[in-house]
Amino acid sequence: MTPGVVSTIVRKDLTEFRADRFFLVITALSVVFYPLVYWLLPSTVDETLRVGVVQNGLDPVLDALQESDGIELVVLDDEDELTDALLGSELDLVAGLVFPDDLLAAAAADEPVQVTLLVTADVPPDIESALEALASEVVLQVLGEPPPTQLLSEPVVLGDDQVGEQVSLREQLRPLMAFFVLMTETFALATLVAGEIQSRTVTAVLVTPATRADFLAAKGVVGTSVAFAEATLIMLLIGGFATGAPILLVTLLLGAALVTGVGMVAGAYGKDFMTVLFTSMLFLVPLMIPAFGALFPGTAAPWVRALPSYGFVQTVVEVSTQNAGWTEVAGYLALLLGWTIAAFATGWLILGRRMARL
Amino acid sequence: MSASIVATDLTYAYGDQIAVDGISVAVDPGEVLGFLGPNGAGKSTTIKMLTGQLSPRSGTIEVLGMPMPAQRTAIQQRIGVCFEEKNLYLTMTGLENLRFFAGLFGLRDVDSRALLERVDLADRAKDRVSQYSKGMRQRLMMARALVNSPDVLFLDEPTDGLDPVSARSIREVIRQEARRGAAILLTTHDMMEADTLSDRVAFINEGQILALDTPERLKLAHGSRSVRIRTRGPADEVAERVIALDGADSDDAVGEAMRAGDVLTIHTEEATLEDVFVHFAGRGLQS
Repeated sequence: MTPGVVSTIVRKDLTEFRADRFFLVITALSVVFYPLVYWLLPSTVDETLRVGVVQNGLDPVLDALQESDGIELVVLDDEDELTDALLGSELDLVAGLVFPDDLLAAAAADEPVQVTLLVTADVPPDIESALEALASEVVLQVLGEPPPTQLLSEPVVLGDDQVGEQVSLREQLRPLMAFFVLMTETFALATLVAGEIQSRTVTAVLVTPATRADFLAAKGVVGTSVAFAEATLIMLLIGGFATGAPILLVTLLLGAALVTGVGMVAGAYGKDFMTVLFTSMLFLVPLMIPAFGALFPGTAAPWVRALPSYGFVQTVVEVSTQNAGWTEVAGYLALLLGWTIAAFATGWLILGRRMARL
Repeated sequence: MSASIVATDLTYAYGDQIAVDGISVAVDPGEVLGFLGPNGAGKSTTIKMLTGQLSPRSGTIEVLGMPMPAQRTAIQQRIGVCFEEKNLYLTMTGLENLRFFAGLFGLRDVDSRALLERVDLADRAKDRVSQYSKGMRQRLMMARALVNSPDVLFLDEPTDGLDPVSARSIREVIRQEARRGAAILLTTHDMMEADTLSDRVAFINEGQILALDTPERLKLAHGSRSVRIRTRGPADEVAERVIALDGADSDDAVGEAMRAGDVLTIHTEEATLEDVFVHFAGRGLQS
């Protein structure tokens, strides 16, 4: 491998990138669009439960409850109005409680009290349980007597207690954005490689002193550096380097090399833009799964950990949302490094074989 | 003077299909060797082996005294290749294309503009190649092949499908390079081009060289010559006779034909390389 030849091919590739208006526009749009979406997303998590209440004469009790954290009670006139509010979206209610008009009289007569809990179909069961507890609390406060058996206990939270420190949608989206940017540049590299294969310009290069290794190394450098540069720029624009910048830079670099391997494979088999797109998507859709999993914690199946991009996503998530250090993410980085070497070597071999068959 | 290209008993096959079957050829410095044959005859495969793109199954290659592929990079430093397909970087300008290839040879002081002037492209130097016509692209390909002032040039159909002006421009460059001392291997379908440009021609068919000599000797040895004479007789009738010049009594026959009436036209007809190729291969180049 000759460094001078490699750098000549790299400069040529960058000239081609600059001359390709399509990728110039796509890159510019990514730089503008992704940060715009990011900054438009909410930066905080609203943990308050808005509960609709139909009641008569319970104002003092409800006022007292209103003062507790995490619950906002919205008083409505009747059950029909509450039902409409729950089905609509204006009041943003998660559930409703209907206390009977004769609650006080029934309590005085030691008769059973029926409180109706209304929830929409998408409310999780744990919220339902919380609301049942809330109804019991109201009833107990109205009666003024503690229940014969105290069932309340101190909650024990397993793992890191994220109460009050929930990750906003904006922060959850960060790894996905970083990965999207890397993907965009993968298409650019794959299209560049496919163009060289299809137009046989690679043949013209290989009858000069440039070797196949020079050509492949140049493609690796171009793919990795362009993807890394744009991902770094996007992360800067969305404030992604507020914590753990060195770790994130290493992660982005490894991620860029990982998708460059994919770009080499897609480029080797691509015949035009559409085949490059489809071949790239074949690899990139599975690679995106861990990033989507980060958006919806707890939804990803265990096999997702076997995907090459899992280490990338987990490192970005833990560094940027939990301020993790080198030690905490070492395992993820090692995983990412392993997959990066494998992807890059595969891309090198497959593209090299394709060139040899021209 | 040792030959710049020496190929001995080269063979190559794509799977079970034999493409080159025992070809031996040598090209001296300053010589243009025309490689003539129909599509699929093995011309391009031979060039691919000589330029290091393919390794022969058997046989040996020496270019500029160095074995190929053992010293591939050193050889490639001193050769130029003009491909049949227009494999240029379309999004780059003509000037950028030349500078890039000069860079691959490690040459920073190449006068790319002068090269473009040689192929009449100086005024389009900064236009993207995508805006070039077919003839302009071919001329740029020729300029690219010359970027390292090569000692050996491989030209694969360099004028195929070009307009007469572009073709003439490229032929002139080929003559200049031969005068400079470059050994040139030229493949072409164009018999006229091979005849006028080549010092020697090799007929290749089904992977084998059928004949190898100067165009003149091949035509004399294997073609027929004739005279076509048209005369007007006493009753104003027009007669035409074609007399082969290979017979012992051809002189008498010509004299007799000319005395038969008023001579209207006399045409001499020489064998073409196409005729010679048909003689050897039993078919034409286009069939």
